[in-house]
Amino acid sequence: MRLKVSLAIALALLCVAAVTRAAPPSALQPVEGRVIWVDFWASWCVPCRRSFPWLNAMHRKYGSDGLQIIAVNLDKDRALADAFLMEVPAEFALRFDPAGALAKQYGVQAMPSSFLIDLDGNVLASHAGFRTADTDGYERAITDALSKSRPQR
Amino acid sequence: MQLKNRRNAALREIGAPLAAATCALLGQSAPDVVQAQELMPWDIDTSMLIYSESDGRVQDLSLNIWGRKELREDKYLGLTLAVDSLTGASPSGATPANVVQTLTSPSGNSQYTVAPGAPALDTSFHDTRTALGASWEMPVARLGLLSVGASVSDEFDYTSVGVNARYARDFNNRNTTVSFGLALANDAVSPVGGSPIPFAPMLGVGDVRNKAGDQSKDVTDFLIGLTQVLNRHTIIQLNYSLSQADGYLTDPYKFLSVVDPVTGNPAAGPSGSGRFAYLFESRPDTRDKQSIYALLKRDFNGDVLELSYRYMTDDWHIDSHTIEARYRFNFGANRYLQPHVRFYQQTAADFYSTVLFAGASLPQYATADHRLGEFDGLTLGLKYGQETARGSEWSARIEYYTQSGNASPGAAVGALANLDLYPDLNALIAQFSYKFGKR
Amino acid sequence: MKLVMKGVVGLLVPAVVALAGCARVEPWDRDVLARPDMQLVADPIEAAADEHIYFSKEASSGGQGFGGGGCGCN
Repeated sequence: MRLKVSLAIALALLCVAAVTRAAPPSALQPVEGRVIWVDFWASWCVPCRRSFPWLNAMHRKYGSDGLQIIAVNLDKDRALADAFLMEVPAEFALRFDPAGALAKQYGVQAMPSSFLIDLDGNVLASHAGFRTADTDGYERAITDALSKSRPQR
Repeated sequence: MQLKNRRNAALREIGAPLAAATCALLGQSAPDVVQAQELMPWDIDTSMLIYSESDGRVQDLSLNIWGRKELREDKYLGLTLAVDSLTGASPSGATPANVVQTLTSPSGNSQYTVAPGAPALDTSFHDTRTALGASWEMPVARLGLLSVGASVSDEFDYTSVGVNARYARDFNNRNTTVSFGLALANDAVSPVGGSPIPFAPMLGVGDVRNKAGDQSKDVTDFLIGLTQVLNRHTIIQLNYSLSQADGYLTDPYKFLSVVDPVTGNPAAGPSGSGRFAYLFESRPDTRDKQSIYALLKRDFNGDVLELSYRYMTDDWHIDSHTIEARYRFNFGANRYLQPHVRFYQQTAADFYSTVLFAGASLPQYATADHRLGEFDGLTLGLKYGQETARGSEWSARIEYYTQSGNASPGAAVGALANLDLYPDLNALIAQFSYKFGKR
Repeated sequence: MKLVMKGVVGLLVPAVVALAGCARVEPWDRDVLARPDMQLVADPIEAAADEHIYFSKEASSGGQGFGGGGCGCN
């Protein structure tokens, strides 16, 4: 019994460690930037509609500086995601996670959710939901992360 | 309302200038083009409803507009307008008789006759009602939602002004929501011809000794609710509400027949009035209602089942049960058919009395208004809706509502035993709605 | 009657507490609940029309509340 409990605790810690310490999951590959903004979205999520133009703007502004935006779609029906993208185009990379495995791994608490991670998989910043009023803060997190990750000369 | 294309186009064009005007009213400059694209556009829903009772009774034509606009991020303005035109005859409270009955109209300026055996309907009932509502909805911290609103409703003899506030808070990763609502209203009643003195007898044309002045009442409503997501397909809601009304709760246009306790024939009215005996009704000046309501919505592979139950009880000893079910068959992504059934049952108020007997002592309160009597109601309906290419949606529904009830025990004496003391109500409801698409 | 009401409300509270623990639908699984036809009041204009009709013809009114359900976004 005590062995099972310790195994369970170890496993739980490992899961937590997996989210905060492990390398970016293979599902996100190919990874090109120095700093990755992982954004979880779905076609039925109204704030997601509002976030895409801003994400496009960030991609244009910081893409050459090493920011890679990866938007992970959680629609169970791919056709709905495609319809959304027709109306709200994305200039950044897309991944599809209909089973929600990646969302679960990252511990998504709200739709949409974003995680700013470095190449080692450390979560530098995260936020639940998207509000236009908070975009200055989101942008500052990006610039801070980019300046910290700049290669030493 | 004829929903011609040019009217639709005009309403769509109204959207932007209306937004600008409303923003100006609220003290902020109209949103510039870039900002306006980030905020949700006007959501406008319109409808026309026809309610028509058989046997020449109430007819109602109603036009409604409902609008919602995100003025600042996550903050919404809601506006509603309803205009109703009511005509047709309404039960006066008197029972049918085997003789001609002559009744004074509510204004006291004219009279009307009721044929032998016919229901005693007041045909002078026609009115136009306008109702306006406004609400402001905004988030409170991350998990709360607050909505405050005001409403005003006006018709010829009745004005109601109210305010309301509602707060909802999410828990449990937004799987659970607790909500509170409070509404306060003040209604001013200025009946045509004045409000009758309780139990005053009906008098002849021009005699206003039985009438007094204007009246009012206050109504307070409180609601506490719980919404719970059960699984990916199912959501339920449970609400408890309390309503307290204080003031003039009587219907100023309704009265009761006084009949002979053996023959059932109308008793004679005041001498010189030229009328049989009719006494204006009298209701208590307070009413406390409580109700519990449960709702279930369940998705079945794209179709939706909606099931609800409400139990109401009040201190007039009326108990009611309402069970309602809708099943929406969704065809493709843009058409649906939804049958609807509603069962309703209520017991009579303890002072409901189909007739009063001559010679008996007067009760403290009495009403012959069938709406406070014992009856069952059944509604059967069907609704069809379709989304258009531009993302708008129109829908049409037709419903049949029927009420059948019982006269108070012991009322059917003598001649009354062969007369219909509680006629069935049969009404047809038709509604056409148009929701403008968000493009 | 008041006792019955107290009993029913008394049942509601523990039911509420029990229910709150019974399900936890993840934010990305709210696709069905986000649909317009799955909202608590799917058609506000129809609901208002019905409420007005039945309020005018019966002795009961109201009951339906607001808040909750939907996509659970933000």
